[in-house]
Amino acid sequence: MVDTLSRVPVTDCVKLCHRVVDGLCGRQRPSRRDYSTIWSPEEWLDLLNSLTAVCRLAVGNNSSDEEVLAGLSGVGSSSHAEAVLSVLRARREEIRRSLLDRTNSISSATLQDFDWQLKVALSSDKISSLHTPLLSLSLDVKENSALRSFTMEMNREELNTLVSSLEAANKVVLQLK
Amino acid sequence: MEEVDNILIHALRQVGTEVGEDIDSVKQFSSELIVEAVVRCVRVIEPSLGSVLPTSLPPGMSARFRVGMSLAQACQDIGYKGEIGYQTFLYSNEPEIRSLLMFLVEKLPREHAEASDQPTGKSVVLQRAIAAAIKAQLAVTWLPSNCRLPLHGETQVNSLELHFDCFHVQPLSLPQCTQGLGKKQLKEMKDYQRDILPPVTAQPSHHASVVASILEQHTAELSAAQEWDIEWNSQGLLSRLTPQEYRCRKQTRLHKRIVEQLRSAVLPSPESAFGGPSSTSDLSELLQAFRCTAPSDHILTKGTHFTHTQKFTFTQVRSTMPKYDSAERNCPCRKKSDIQLRQQEELTSVQQQFQQLCTGTMSSRSTIAQCTCVLVQVLDELKQRELGNCEKEERMQVKKKTINLLPDADNNLLKLQALVESSAKRVVNLASQWEKHRAPLIDEHRRLKEICSNQELESSRKLSEIKSLHDKIRVSTEEAKKKEDVYKQLVTELENLPQDASRSAYTQRILEIVSNIKKQKEEITKILSDTKELQKEINSLTGKLDRTFAVTDELVFKDAKRDESVRKSYKYLAALHENCNQLIQTIEDTGTILREIRDLEEQIETENGNKTVANLERILDDYRAIRQENSALAAKVREG
Repeated sequence: MVDTLSRVPVTDCVKLCHRVVDGLCGRQRPSRRDYSTIWSPEEWLDLLNSLTAVCRLAVGNNSSDEEVLAGLSGVGSSSHAEAVLSVLRARREEIRRSLLDRTNSISSATLQDFDWQLKVALSSDKISSLHTPLLSLSLDVKENSALRSFTMEMNREELNTLVSSLEAANKVVLQLK
Repeated sequence: MEEVDNILIHALRQVGTEVGEDIDSVKQFSSELIVEAVVRCVRVIEPSLGSVLPTSLPPGMSARFRVGMSLAQACQDIGYKGEIGYQTFLYSNEPEIRSLLMFLVEKLPREHAEASDQPTGKSVVLQRAIAAAIKAQLAVTWLPSNCRLPLHGETQVNSLELHFDCFHVQPLSLPQCTQGLGKKQLKEMKDYQRDILPPVTAQPSHHASVVASILEQHTAELSAAQEWDIEWNSQGLLSRLTPQEYRCRKQTRLHKRIVEQLRSAVLPSPESAFGGPSSTSDLSELLQAFRCTAPSDHILTKGTHFTHTQKFTFTQVRSTMPKYDSAERNCPCRKKSDIQLRQQEELTSVQQQFQQLCTGTMSSRSTIAQCTCVLVQVLDELKQRELGNCEKEERMQVKKKTINLLPDADNNLLKLQALVESSAKRVVNLASQWEKHRAPLIDEHRRLKEICSNQELESSRKLSEIKSLHDKIRVSTEEAKKKEDVYKQLVTELENLPQDASRSAYTQRILEIVSNIKKQKEEITKILSDTKELQKEINSLTGKLDRTFAVTDELVFKDAKRDESVRKSYKYLAALHENCNQLIQTIEDTGTILREIRDLEEQIETENGNKTVANLERILDDYRAIRQENSALAAKVREG
């Protein structure tokens, strides 16, 4: 599990742990290429998974420093465990927020991201001058842990319908609070 | 004439002629400026004619002469009726140039002026330009990306590049100083922010998503702050709590609600068969999914009943897993089919075991639920019984005491009576004392109550004031926004106005001129009628004179034959008549001569206006220059 962590010096260990936490919070994970000489692929996956699990457990259960250290007893040297603990202390708030986000997106499909472009259709195949604004909206929806992208194009009336229905949904959510 | 010149110069500037700021009349135009103005006008009116003409005069004299000739030809081709030749441009005089420029400016196409007047015209022009550009792009044939030249790069984009143009948001980590003011920041956090945290621009994996991520983060923070503001103003202020208390209360309320929801979703499921469609609601399905398939590292941060059961389930499963792993590793060198078979078997056995375990946990969970119910009931019962016990013990103690007193009944009775009396006295005493203390306390209580109600009234008044102030702020911000919009609109209108203003000034001026002309016309007609009357009078007088003369002549002639003196007088009469005729003739002659003199003076003035002398000198100079050029050319020819 985490016992292979002692193969790198402490400063690198701190950096690696920060990168792991970055990956946990939705940013770039550490790439295996940088550490390919130190760990084999299986060990690398193992290490990543176990480090992530340690972070989640420690923050999710709001455990004290001693508990975390006990969980890290598998690591060879105590200085490495201390390094992991310091990373955890520094990033506790960030990890907590990302875990809360996970909990918030508990329903089957959640909106992850969206992007929009405004276009003007100058003419069509039948009408030579047609100044109609069109909105192309793309929604990145996470459905059962798979990211799917929905793209749609709407004119003004359709956009108004969408906005009003979304507002109604927001009102329902506000009433729940 | 100034007005006309201003209009002319304005029009010329619009065409693109660079008329200097200090020039405000046609008189100040130099030959170069005249040529440039005329050429620009001709180019706008008739592009085919104007494109061959140069906008500036060449240095050579003969070349200048040729340019002047071609310009004059171009003006005649456009339709200028007046006298025009190379001299118009090279040796200009004011009225000719003015009439030529007026003709050209009138000929300028109308829509050019209209397009600059109307703001709607601009967008039409833009749309036309866009349409033309798109048409041109569509006309270009499509090429695969590796055959493209750099000049195609802008218009032909392949789909991959398009995909990269999309914006994606990634979470950012920002050090926040404002939060840490109250509580001291951790040393590790500071170290992390100083040494390891990359700058915001380096945090996202793609450079393109930097802006989108930052904007998204800021929007999220802003909208959260706004939402809180609105909620606090609408509900928070009314609840008369501090923000922290309000938040706390809301959190506990929401927590309770979520727990209730989850519990109601969890409870019915154990009764139905495992894995079956227990209920149609989304939440319970999701919870089912959690129960069956979620990996072990899915840990909810909130410790509900449901998470505890889940954790329990999975630790069990995990403990059974290593066995199979080790079994697998022991036999790595078997045949493939064998391994597959084994794996299948293992899989089925594991699944079976898993099912068993699941059903086991289900049944044990239901028993646990039953047991907890029973436990609660039993605990309630126990409490009630303990209460009953206490009461009974008290009663028993009282009875014990009375039994102890029974043997010496009379004495004890007396003692008891004395005790009762003394205690009654004491009670009365205490009551009077209590009354003494009570009265001021009650007064105090009333006073405080009054103050309290007063304060409450005041606070509610202030609350309503605050509310009205909020409303006012909102209303005034809206008004300010509206007024700003109106201001912007008016500014744009103002920008479009000046031309209209000058136009109205011009029309006013024209009307004035027209009225002036009318007045002058009236005066002229008056003078004309005066002259007519004078002419009539003169005619009648000459007629009268002729007739009187004829009559006198006859009478005197008759008498002259008889009388010598009368003959003399007749001679005088004839002489008088002749002299008078001569006089009249002379006066008429002076009149005509005076008129001629005036005409001549006018002619001299116009000639002076034409700068004849200066032009003559220039012509002489130019003539000399041409002669020099010619002689130089002749010399060259001879040398060659």
